[in-house]
Order: sequence, then structure tokens, then C-alpha cells
Amino acid sequence: MGMLVVPPEVEAVFREVRTCEFTTLAKDNTPITWPTVALYQPDQARFVITTSIGLPHKAYNLRRIPRVAMLYSDPTGSSLATPPAVLVQGDAICPDQIVTRSEELDALGRLIMVRQPVSARYSANPLARWLSDWYLMRLLIYITPRRIRWWPHGDFSRPAAELQVDHVG
Amino acid sequence: MWAEIAKRLPRFSSAVLTGLDSTGHPVSVRCQPALDHRAQVLRVLVPDGLGMVPGPAGLLCHRHDEQLWRLKSFLLRGSLERTGHDWVFHPHRLVRGMDTTPVSNLRLLRDGRRTARCYLATRGLRRPTIPWDHYAQLKNQDSGTG
Repeated sequence: MGMLVVPPEVEAVFREVRTCEFTTLAKDNTPITWPTVALYQPDQARFVITTSIGLPHKAYNLRRIPRVAMLYSDPTGSSLATPPAVLVQGDAICPDQIVTRSEELDALGRLIMVRQPVSARYSANPLARWLSDWYLMRLLIYITPRRIRWWPHGDFSRPAAELQVDHVG
Repeated sequence: MWAEIAKRLPRFSSAVLTGLDSTGHPVSVRCQPALDHRAQVLRVLVPDGLGMVPGPAGLLCHRHDEQLWRLKSFLLRGSLERTGHDWVFHPHRLVRGMDTTPVSNLRLLRDGRRTARCYLATRGLRRPTIPWDHYAQLKNQDSGTG
């Protein structure tokens, strides 16, 4: 698959909106959704998220059922006034390797430092480091989008625009 | 559980409803659920073109401030039913989310540490070393001092 090309207003959402609502499926197929910071990598036609081995449930879920969704529907804290709501449906993988340092982790770390400045307190002193080292033992999750839909101005009562990702590149 | 839902839900201006589509992929929409106290269900609007089907579903309420702090969230696990033109969410279980109160932070640190230890032990892995200096450099670069 080539580069992911989306309209500018959708790209702005992927780059600026602070969290997406990321869904994995539990063993009984119930959708489990939590707010999550996602890194947009259009040149690799994917998104990257990460979770700690101390909070591994989303990794367990998507290793069992790789179908996932990401909804960008809350622009709080972004520079965007009335952005579209964007829904990405795709497939995810989560390699076994525990990562403490990588290019993707650095990029995600920079995003979080900008978006959530308070998070710096977790490495502020030796006690904080001892208490929170597990949080930086990370699993990386790669999401390949299959279908992207968006609703102008976040108005779900109007028809969505749509991009089948396999058809672009 | 219903009393807890009735207390928490009004604190959020909207929620994210997630169900499945006909391919089995999750599909989400932001909505304003209405409490039906008599039936102890939530009534929700699901756009026609979304492709959501009745079955397992979840409802997330969350918010944060401009600095991605003051986090508040909870999740309802449940199921979605179609009754004529209307949709009804049946809550089965309430899951408390991560928030940023001191007590919640301490609980997170304690539980996360324990879960990580189990994750490593189950796989026979040694505890990885965290490159704190590298993270300090990243932080300095971000603040323009490095």
C-alpha cells in the first residue's frame, strides 16, 4: 500500500485532535472504547498507538480480534474550531516485543509532551521513576485503515463522506 | 448500577456509542443518550447510513481539558437493540475509567506495576531498563532547552 492521502480537513483532524476514541473487541465481541493518543503516519498508510504492559488489555483484545476503530470526535485542546468527526475502521497488529525506545515511541512521546505537559511529572524524580517505570515498558500497535468516513462539522445527522483506503495510494 | 449510571451520565454533554457493522468491525458515533428510568435503558440516535447492527455495544463518556488533563471517563458495556426506528442501549456493566485525582493516580501506579510484573513473569522476561536520560533529552528538546 502506498501513501495515505486524505482531504486536508481530515488530515488536520489526524494531526491536531488530542485523542481519538479507540475501540478493540473483547472476547465476547463487546466493543471496548477508551480515549487514546494516536500517531498519524501517512507515508506508511497507518496509525501507531502504544500501551504499557501494565495496561495490556487492548493489546490482548486486538491480538485475538484485529478489527478496530478510531473515532475523532472531540476537538478540545486542538486548534480546530469545527472540524469534521472522522471514523477510521481498520485492522491492527501488536508485536510481542516490549519497547522502551524507538522512533515511533519518540514521536508519540513528543506528541504527549506537547499535548499533556503534566505527564512530565512522572519522570521528575527517582521516586516517581521507580513508581512509573512500568508505564514506559510499551507495546506498539499498528493500525492499517480500511475505511475512513467523516461528517462535516461533526454533524452525524448529515451523510458522511467516505474513502475506501484500498483504492488510494 | 442504574443509579450510578443516572448519576454519572448527566456530567457529560455527549457520549461515544460503539457497536458492530455487518463485517464485524466496530463502528462509533457521538451521540446524546437519553436516560429512560422506567426501562433502565439509554435511548440513542444512530444515523441510518452508519451500518451499525443490533448486538454487543459499548458507550464511552470522557472529557479532558485543553492540556489533556482533568481526565474523567467511564465505559458502559452492553448491547444495542433496534425497536422500530429507535435504538436502545441496554447497559450490562459499568467500568470506571482513568481519571486524574490523586487517589486514582495512586491506584493506577499500584495496579499497573503489579500487572506489568505479571506480564513479564508469565513470559519469563527480565524487567527492561528505562532509558531515563533519553526521555530527559526528549523533554528538553521539546521545551527548547536541549
